[in-house]
Amino acid sequence: MLGGCEIEEVGIPRTEAQLAVHSVLSASATTQVVLLERTRNGSVAISAPAFEVVDPVFSDEGIAETNAIVTLTTPSGATLVAREDVTVRGDGKGRGVYRFALRGEDLERGGTYQLSVRTTRNQSLTAETSVPLGDAALAPAPATFDRVQDTLFLAWPAAPGARAYFVRIETPFGPRSFFTDTTRVRLTGELRNIDVEGIPRVFIPGFPQALTVSAVDSNYYDWFRTHSNAISGTGLISRVRGGIGVFGSLVRLRFDDLHVVAPQTEPEAGTFRIAGTPAEVASARHLSIELYVESRAARADQAHALSGRYHKRPVLGESGCLTCGLLGTARDGRIELAFLTDWYARDTADIFVGHLRGDTISGTYRVSGQATFVRQR
Amino acid sequence: MRSEKVDGATVARAPSWKPAMVFLLGILPALLPAQEASTGVVVGRVTSRTDTAAVLSPVHNATISVVGTAAATTTGPDGRFVLDRIPAGVQTVRVRLLGYRIVERAVLVRSGDTVRADVTLEREAQLLSPIRVDAASADAEAFVSKPNVATVAVDATAMKGVPAAGEPDVVRVVQLLPGVISRNDFNTGLNVRGGEADQNLILLDGHPIYNPFHLGGLFSTFMDATVGGIELMTGAFPARFGGRLSSVLDVRSSDEARPGVHASADLSVIGATARLSGAFARERGTWSVAARRTYADAVTALFTDDIFPYHFRDLHARGAYALPGNTRIAVTAYLGKDILDANLSEFASDSAPSRASEGRWTFDWGNRVIGATITKDLGADARVPLLGLRLGESATLEQRVSASQFSTLLNLGEGAFTQRNEVSDVRLSGSLLARTATHDRSIGYEVATHRIRYASGSSETGSSDYDVRQRPMSAAVWINDLWRPSPRWLVEWGVRGEALSERGWAALSPRVSLKFFVTPEVAITAASGRVTQWMHSMAGDGPLRYFEVWLASDSVTPVATAWHWVAGAERRVREVGSVRVEAFLKRYDRVLEANWAENPQLLGDEFFVAEGRSYGADLLARWQPASGLAGWISYSYGVSMRSRDGTRWAPGHDRRHDIDVVATWRFTKYRFGARFGFATGTPYTPIVGEIARRVYDPSRDSWGTGNPRLWIEALGGARHAGRFPATHRLDLDASREFRIGGASVSPYVSVVNAYNAQNVFVYLYDYSTDAPTRRAISQFPILPSLGVRVVF
Repeated sequence: MLGGCEIEEVGIPRTEAQLAVHSVLSASATTQVVLLERTRNGSVAISAPAFEVVDPVFSDEGIAETNAIVTLTTPSGATLVAREDVTVRGDGKGRGVYRFALRGEDLERGGTYQLSVRTTRNQSLTAETSVPLGDAALAPAPATFDRVQDTLFLAWPAAPGARAYFVRIETPFGPRSFFTDTTRVRLTGELRNIDVEGIPRVFIPGFPQALTVSAVDSNYYDWFRTHSNAISGTGLISRVRGGIGVFGSLVRLRFDDLHVVAPQTEPEAGTFRIAGTPAEVASARHLSIELYVESRAARADQAHALSGRYHKRPVLGESGCLTCGLLGTARDGRIELAFLTDWYARDTADIFVGHLRGDTISGTYRVSGQATFVRQR
Repeated sequence: MRSEKVDGATVARAPSWKPAMVFLLGILPALLPAQEASTGVVVGRVTSRTDTAAVLSPVHNATISVVGTAAATTTGPDGRFVLDRIPAGVQTVRVRLLGYRIVERAVLVRSGDTVRADVTLEREAQLLSPIRVDAASADAEAFVSKPNVATVAVDATAMKGVPAAGEPDVVRVVQLLPGVISRNDFNTGLNVRGGEADQNLILLDGHPIYNPFHLGGLFSTFMDATVGGIELMTGAFPARFGGRLSSVLDVRSSDEARPGVHASADLSVIGATARLSGAFARERGTWSVAARRTYADAVTALFTDDIFPYHFRDLHARGAYALPGNTRIAVTAYLGKDILDANLSEFASDSAPSRASEGRWTFDWGNRVIGATITKDLGADARVPLLGLRLGESATLEQRVSASQFSTLLNLGEGAFTQRNEVSDVRLSGSLLARTATHDRSIGYEVATHRIRYASGSSETGSSDYDVRQRPMSAAVWINDLWRPSPRWLVEWGVRGEALSERGWAALSPRVSLKFFVTPEVAITAASGRVTQWMHSMAGDGPLRYFEVWLASDSVTPVATAWHWVAGAERRVREVGSVRVEAFLKRYDRVLEANWAENPQLLGDEFFVAEGRSYGADLLARWQPASGLAGWISYSYGVSMRSRDGTRWAPGHDRRHDIDVVATWRFTKYRFGARFGFATGTPYTPIVGEIARRVYDPSRDSWGTGNPRLWIEALGGARHAGRFPATHRLDLDASREFRIGGASVSPYVSVVNAYNAQNVFVYLYDYSTDAPTRRAISQFPILPSLGVRVVF
């Protein structure tokens, strides 16, 4: 009742765009990347095609700054020149993505690197970062994590020169991340993800979830811990001269690959295999599903939330995961499952709606076809 | 900021002024004279009839004397008085208050006994002119008795009929007074004569309350039914007040003047308030209990499956009792809480088939205050112990003790992230006032210990972003003298000495006020004083203010200081009216500004230290008859600037012109109210662009996965380079009283923003297209509301 409402919308003049940079020197990366773009000033209608990791500026609502001269001066005084990805790829992707042929393991720990940018409009941008000390964790350490019974106690060696440690856990709904200035942290299985709308749990049964702990410099820390106030437009801490953004450095100290599980005691939970005639089985797209009751419904008129994974039949010429994530609901025997394209909740490959009767789930796919899955004892 | 982290022990140094406090407390009882056997006690209550409901209201500050003796006192806020050591025999008690007929009453005083003398005053002007006078009496009394510079008092009667948005609110009334600026409709924060919203000392019956706001500042914590009146000091306040740079707002609880038990209830569209009150022990004591709760959550639950997860509640209790020996004790308690409890998994589902996996977030904040005041009127023979010096013709000893707490807790995801601010203020203060024919001299002290915690972290991860704990102790001693050197002059001067333990800081703050009567109805005034503040808010300079987030000065955060200068003139008009004009200059030597980008792991960067200056003038014209048309016109002109590191800016509350016209009209059983306000715009920072903020994924060593989408954030231009357009608003209120049995039932209807003026609250920008736009979000739209007040 007391809320304000929109009373006027007027056109306003375009403003002066700034150069914006996002770059992190990573001790575990094979190359070092600088993303260069311009801030939004009302001169470009932003497009938002599907995100592509090889085109992270244009495919993610950015205004790429192309054809700039981007150099990196190492602590020893050597100067490296970056190449823009679009100039080496043949598909027009990678605009605004500048890449240095510098392996992370070659980054001088404790050394200061200077970034310099000059655009075709003769604008210049400079920044510098000092790489924290510490040995980079290059390969993930696999582990199984029972969300109900386990608590993760993480510890890592101190990294001199680090401003803080950045803990990040990948989840189907988006990462949960936070900074800490200690070298240990505790993660309970019931931990909630406050970085995501709806505050779901961080650990989702059935999903592989990467967990990293990185030592970061003060540029990274200050840029990512601050936000701009929507009303005043202030609050960000950027140490980039001639523009805005971050040029930081990061050493990945821990890299865990968690296979998250939970007890499968509910009727809807368990591993179900495709069933039917030999012809039906031979043509089935999904060979098995592994289901967990992720959360029980808090209201009688709502469904339980399901999570898990499914195994695809390999198809010649089809890329992507063979084991992928699924999310769904269950209420009064009705099962609805979203078969994800990979492990992210945002992309669904197909929807399956069926019913659980005894140990059998029978139903139909939204795209086409029917399937029957039987619980595996 | 020098404060230990969570696992570090916080050590508060023992303040050196403790022995002085012990001494002061020790000698106070010695000042209390013994009761003589050949005398008796006169107690009573002074009331007046204030409206058509025939309710007697207590009269504050009436002078009570016994003819032919030096015995004299004044009534307290509850209208009560005690005269001790009155010679036995038939005596004449005289009650005097400007604007009322003098009342004399003969009483028989028995040795060693107590006799009652209750007096109901009548308006003097009823006999003098056809115009009836009303609450103007307290104003008129203050006009002749004190310099009263930059001070406005408004009693409950005058506040009735001022249109309200949903709930009558005393702080909304304060915003209509001269020198007071409110940023917008969604904010009850007070900006007084160019000061920031955390620079106001807000008192409930003299006891501090730290965050008296509900619902993001939309309402204050003061229930209308419990408020007896307010006094607002907008500058150069007397030496007994300290700790804030800009103003003192003292909210006085109402006391029940009628014997028996009485009840009142207010039902509005927002919530319900109920109050029980009464007097006991032959009216030597009064009590009241009031409670309020909003009920949108409960009403929603009755009709839908949707959950409205917010409510606030208040509980206010007050008791006062006149003890034998000219002693009065009054206790005030307040408990209030805002609760936002959003268990998202219990919300009705919209398009999602299930919200089972969603979490919970809670946000609550509230105040707890309890305070007691003991007042003892000493006779004419009260003397200073050891020295034997006579204190004066009368003297009053007052001792206060209070505990005030504020706490807020934001809990996201059941411990995944918590942020809290806790302030505890335990305070002991006292004063001794000695009156002679030409001087009212007083001396007082104030000792306070604070516990402050400002913390953020996660119990689920065992991590702490920061955990600031402070335990400062403050002490102050002050002297004040109200001197009447001649019938034309009033001089009030004082000095306040203050110290703060964690800062190792001490200072003397002089205060002086002058009033010169050009004629009996016209006076010119001037005042100056130095003020200090060591409690600061981290709430920032934004347009919305949920509540203050408090931290204290310490070794790295200085004490803020300012000087006030005020000059003005006041004219009384036919006892019921007054016109006052004042000009002010406020110089901030140090004013603290919250650093929104402070490093949570670095203590000491929470505030920027700026300088500043505010100047302006304001006008108040009031007309306060007992019936008919009443109200006031206030106009404020102000200019405020702040500077730091060579940069100058106008703070977000800098408003050039602000005019409010408030009128109430009582006609038989009807009461009408109207308020019109016009104000020029306040500054804002234009948004000049947006940045797409990308996230690095350390597990893949890549930028962005599209999971989630990137953040688009606003980029601000030059600070406060723009100004919102002027605002204006008309509010209307009407009520009618019905007598049903023994009850008075008064339904009312209010319309806020009656002609739906489209006043701008904030601008929102969109630079994502090649035709950028700016949208204006309004302040209050037209808001009709209704309710009913029932008084038994």
